[in-house]
Amino acid sequence: MTRHLVGPVSELPPGSRKIVEVAGRSIGVFNVAGSFYALRNSCPHQGAPLCLGSIGGTAATSRPGEYTWGREGEILRCPWHGWEFDITTGRSVFNPHRMKVRSYDVTVSHELPDDVEIEMYPVEVEDGLVLLEI
Amino acid sequence: MSEPATSLAEAREADAERRQGIVDVDVHPVPSSVDEIRERMPMPFRDRYQGERRSFFNNPVHGSRLDAVPPDGGPKGSDPEFMRRQLIDEYGVAYAILVSRTFCNIHPDPDYAAAIATAFNEWLVEVWLTEHNHDGAFKGSITIAQQDPARAVEEIERWAGHEHIVQVTMDSGARMPFGQRYYYPIYEACERHGLPLSVHPGTEGMGINHQPTPGYPTHYIEWHCAMSLAFQAHLISILTEGVFERYPGLRLVLVEGGVAWLAPLLWRLDSYWKALRSEVPWLRKPPSEYVADHVRLGTQPLERPDDDAQLLQLMEMMDAKRVLMFSSDYPHWDFDSPARAFPRLDDDVREAIFSTNARELYQLNQ
Repeated sequence: MTRHLVGPVSELPPGSRKIVEVAGRSIGVFNVAGSFYALRNSCPHQGAPLCLGSIGGTAATSRPGEYTWGREGEILRCPWHGWEFDITTGRSVFNPHRMKVRSYDVTVSHELPDDVEIEMYPVEVEDGLVLLEI
Repeated sequence: MSEPATSLAEAREADAERRQGIVDVDVHPVPSSVDEIRERMPMPFRDRYQGERRSFFNNPVHGSRLDAVPPDGGPKGSDPEFMRRQLIDEYGVAYAILVSRTFCNIHPDPDYAAAIATAFNEWLVEVWLTEHNHDGAFKGSITIAQQDPARAVEEIERWAGHEHIVQVTMDSGARMPFGQRYYYPIYEACERHGLPLSVHPGTEGMGINHQPTPGYPTHYIEWHCAMSLAFQAHLISILTEGVFERYPGLRLVLVEGGVAWLAPLLWRLDSYWKALRSEVPWLRKPPSEYVADHVRLGTQPLERPDDDAQLLQLMEMMDAKRVLMFSSDYPHWDFDSPARAFPRLDDDVREAIFSTNARELYQLNQ
């Protein structure tokens, strides 16, 4: 497990995302209401850049003719075919047990750990650093 | 724009690459603005045209790939050079067969509909097939409005013979099935000019057109899925009315109407033909046998069962190696990636579907 610096917390306010290239992989890091999550930027369906998709809510499964909208800000929709994924788990909404995108752990540190991979990145530690574990 | 080849060796190399690339038979160029079309229309239509499309059954999520926005702005699919990067260069596409989405056949006024088709054709030829076609990768389709077949023939006559025009296209949304005599002037013109006729969905039940369902569906998902019913109805009509006996040189291309239904539909039709052939005595052979010689199908959106082996069996049943041609539908939301839409295919099947079937049909360099 290697930790990679994504950037200062101030660069990733709630509702935002950042796409980073780490170890040859494109990964999207998301701030959902103050918590951080990371997903592989490739849709398991046809390889679209998933993390460029729209972020919003979804209609929960309901009785016919009823709509229950919720989870605002937690659902990522693929920019191609519109498949919905739960940003907090990487699991798809339509089949969470079998269809999912690879997710990674994200931590916030208030000091720069010795082992972190930095590639000439200006770092300000005051408000915390977002670290991606791969 | 890439630099022109500076030596014979480079020209040969470019030519060799072109012979190997994918042919994508359903790609959608989009005007940068309504004015691009409007300025090519005569009065009084120029003032009337607002870029009308179907007024409902729009995708509630997004209609085109979100990542297809050109870097310099403008509608998705409106920048030829960005399309080159995102489709042609990304996947090794040698030829993109361009199909304009004009929605002209929703209108009750045949003159207005024809004016829209004509303006789109002028725009396509001037902007995409000439100005931005240094490498000849863009091949175009003549859009016709079905509301006036005689006027549609004039439109075909106008563009036939253009070096980058490879087919005629019309929408599957219709007032009557395509086997009926109303359409024959169009078929005669296509045959005479050696231009395949491509049929594309999107105007089912819109404006003057019937739904392929018993009435109006409720949701986009229902309408979108049922579009393949229109294709099945049109194909049954064309086969049983003997269109390919009247016009033996006519070639039909069905794009975006699904492919998985083909084999069982033809089994059903052939079995009825054995009992009922005397009702349609002009058919000299089982209806299915006309398909191999006259009909090709674009693959997108390819039906994908969870088990790839089932799809491969279906493909064998429909003689996919002969009748299918790859299509992506770029930049629309249900884009099929050349790299990911299919399970692994045998090399000869893949070559036929992704390249040689379309090269033969459209007489592209082979």
